[in-house]
Amino acid sequence: MKLQHFSVQDIPRRRFLELTMKGSLAVAATPALLSQLTSCRSATAGATVLDTDRDLISKVIRKALEKGGDFSEVYIENRISREIVMEESKFRSGLYGISQGAGVRVISGNKTGYAYTDEVTEEKLLRAAEVAAFVATKGTPVKAVGLKTVDYKSFITVEMPLGEIADDQRIEVIKRADQAAMSYDPRIRMALVDYYDEIRGRVIANSEGLYLRDELPLLFFIVQVMSADGKARHMARERLSMHSGFEMFSKVTPEEVAGNAAREAIAMLAAEEAPAGIMDVVMQNGWGGVLVHEAIGHPLEADNIAKGIGAFTGKLGQKVASECFTMVDDGSLPGHRGTTNYDDEGTPGQRNVLIENGILKGYMTDILSARQLDMKRTGNGRRENFRYIPIPRMTNTFIDQGKDDPAEILSSTKKGIYVQSLSGGSVNPVTGVFNFTCREAYLIENGKKARPIRGATLIGSCMDVISNIDAVGNDLAFGPGICGKGQNAEVDAGQPTVRIRGINVGGSKA
Amino acid sequence: MNVMNYKTLAEKLVSTALKMGADAAEIFISAGRDLSVNILNKEIETIEESDSAGVGVRVIAGGALGFSYSNSLDMKALEDTVAMAIRYARLTTPDENNILPVLAGETPVEGLYDPETETVTLEKKIAMALELEKLAMSDSRITKSSGSSYGESIQEIIIASSTGTARSYKVSACSLGVSVVAEKGDQKKTGDEYCSRRFFSDLDSPDKIASKASQKAWQMLDSRMVKTQKASVIFDPEVAPSLLRGIIAALNGERVLQGASFLAHSMGMQFASPLLSITDDGTRARSLGAAPFDDEGVATQKRVLVDKGVVSGFIYNTIAARRAGTVSTGNASRNGYTSLPGIGTHHLSLTPGTNTRAEIIAATEKGLLLNGVTGYGIDAVSGNFSGGASGFWIDKGEIMFPVEGLTIAGSADAILNGIDMMGSDIDMNRSFASPTFRVMEMQIGGR
Repeated sequence: MKLQHFSVQDIPRRRFLELTMKGSLAVAATPALLSQLTSCRSATAGATVLDTDRDLISKVIRKALEKGGDFSEVYIENRISREIVMEESKFRSGLYGISQGAGVRVISGNKTGYAYTDEVTEEKLLRAAEVAAFVATKGTPVKAVGLKTVDYKSFITVEMPLGEIADDQRIEVIKRADQAAMSYDPRIRMALVDYYDEIRGRVIANSEGLYLRDELPLLFFIVQVMSADGKARHMARERLSMHSGFEMFSKVTPEEVAGNAAREAIAMLAAEEAPAGIMDVVMQNGWGGVLVHEAIGHPLEADNIAKGIGAFTGKLGQKVASECFTMVDDGSLPGHRGTTNYDDEGTPGQRNVLIENGILKGYMTDILSARQLDMKRTGNGRRENFRYIPIPRMTNTFIDQGKDDPAEILSSTKKGIYVQSLSGGSVNPVTGVFNFTCREAYLIENGKKARPIRGATLIGSCMDVISNIDAVGNDLAFGPGICGKGQNAEVDAGQPTVRIRGINVGGSKA
Repeated sequence: MNVMNYKTLAEKLVSTALKMGADAAEIFISAGRDLSVNILNKEIETIEESDSAGVGVRVIAGGALGFSYSNSLDMKALEDTVAMAIRYARLTTPDENNILPVLAGETPVEGLYDPETETVTLEKKIAMALELEKLAMSDSRITKSSGSSYGESIQEIIIASSTGTARSYKVSACSLGVSVVAEKGDQKKTGDEYCSRRFFSDLDSPDKIASKASQKAWQMLDSRMVKTQKASVIFDPEVAPSLLRGIIAALNGERVLQGASFLAHSMGMQFASPLLSITDDGTRARSLGAAPFDDEGVATQKRVLVDKGVVSGFIYNTIAARRAGTVSTGNASRNGYTSLPGIGTHHLSLTPGTNTRAEIIAATEKGLLLNGVTGYGIDAVSGNFSGGASGFWIDKGEIMFPVEGLTIAGSADAILNGIDMMGSDIDMNRSFASPTFRVMEMQIGGR
């Protein structure tokens, strides 16, 4: 059903809500056992659903347009995923998954028909085409163009392919992170290390004659660290994620990831009650960009604009933010978590300037909303997997580099809150009202970072927040996350250090 | 494939796993059909339909736990999947608590599957969603539709294991909902209402859903902000779960074992007002949370988790229970065939009190009638709570005006002990059923 929640999280929901399961009490896996393990290629060797005959795909595309319609598409996917979880310094679970299937989509005017199947056979694909065609009941159908392979530029480089990585290499980075976290301070009580990788193979073919096939590698490494000192307890975390080969861990080491989480865990033990009410907020560079991802990014996705209900409907070319504010969605940043070369409809990723020096410049579109609004495709038509229709989504979204010195932004703020990291938040894209939860934050007293404060909520409305940003630093950085909009998408959010005047902070102290 | 074939397949894969060297093996299959229809501006916006099935393989080999899944039901692919589970078990740490539950006993639960969901025509379902949108738009204050929808899902769950007899059940679920926008000048407010049930005939009428959705939108027009202050907060049944879910997360037996719960050392202790009692029920007829057994095959139960403010039960799956020196409470929970069993609840409810909602409002000198909360609820680790808040301002026992853009915060200890009035207005159809209740005083952030 269509309960559209727009939210963003820094780790998967299931890991957020419960710390999974399973027992303890045993020795670590012996090196002898681990050395027997090699790569995981064997289970995936041979032909896959991605090798589905192109003539058959053409037949399905034509079948889908038999009853009418303007556009049809076949999307085939094959995903191999691996996840290894260490909790309390023990390897608790190892997961290996194969997920494959195909979806057939028909667009007829404003209507979309969609059907998917796990079994990629002629019979099932043609049946899916028939079901998807249910929406197309009138008009002369467009004629499908013959399929032609397209070759786009890749923004993803791989030095150490995930398929050739031995499991003991995966085990090694997990152990290193755990040891680094546990040896940081005696008050660190536990570490949870979650290693995930996947290879997502895609075939995208449509009635415009497009045929694309590729494989996207993705790594997601999450370290959570719990501290306790008898009085307080804090669960900290740090994440690392890229579309990359295993060489990601030589660019940022597991020790660095774990060390950052451990630092936060210890620092926040001293946290006091947060103040309540409206105050100035300085947000540190990096993942804090989720605030504009939610508050501004979602309302700029073109589906709600096409429906005429989005907060920014009809505001193109108008001044919507302060002049120091420029916001960009860029699906072509090399190797970033939100970069997928081309989106899941086959439109190449590109740099899309959404707001430039305060002026609204553009929306993020997919094929359908671009048609409805008579705008160009921006490479934002994404889907969680073959079970979902592609919809406008963000990729790597950020406040662009400004001119201010981050240290000066802080020192010129007399009183307020310094937010070092946020967990996540949500927005109502129609009203633009958003909320965020701080994970690591400090009071600002006389232009200096003072005592840490407990996880407070920040709330406000998108229009107010972008008008009230009055300082933008020159230290742009990014962080990885999961964006939810009825389905999930892997994204990066980024920003330089910024100051927002007047946000309502949900503290428990008057 | 029909259910008998799935059962046979599951049993066959269990023996394949044992042959390949697993000491114990469990096969979890879910197979089903989904349908969803979205309506926007009197037209079909999307129709989606699908069949899907997948297999999750859990093995224990040398005391270590491995898991794999596949949605390719090709025999060769499934054998590879079983082999990968055994191989991944070798990566994990052997543990004496790694056991599979013995599959014995089921709880009889009525009303899991509704054949009518499958016999009502697609045309009728579309007409119902169209009617719902039309009704929700009929109020003059409502200016735009964000769409209405109908959705349904039919699922078969099959579990086979080397520790007992294979078992299965079939469930249905359907939902109907709508989302609308009310505008006045520059103001935009949204309202939505969704109803989910096991039985098609149990769905609320389009009329009822439509009027709730449109009221939620227009009632927030001309909302204001109030000053930062301490005042009473009355929780509407709809928002109570967003506060209380943190308690449930803190009662998760695994979190308790790890010390990652603010209730880790509270068994048998008073941690909340005596007005607060919470029950988890996996056996309730026609309830969306009910099932004859949990996601690893253990019979479900009805249990009191919080009794008059005292922690009376943690929730466990088999492995966490063994580590804690107890037995599973039938709370193993999976995210379909793609995940290992974690720990979750079935149908949660608060024990109603004696005050009517009107009495609670009338007894409130100054406060917030809360009908919107954002954020993560009570933090299960630290017990800290902070959220965005909206609703109505109450002065001298009367509702004055809508308020928005506020925050509320406090510690679990202060909030839960501060519950001083519990309502009698419970709707057990909600997945976390709560009456209206009042917290005597909380910090409110505003102007």
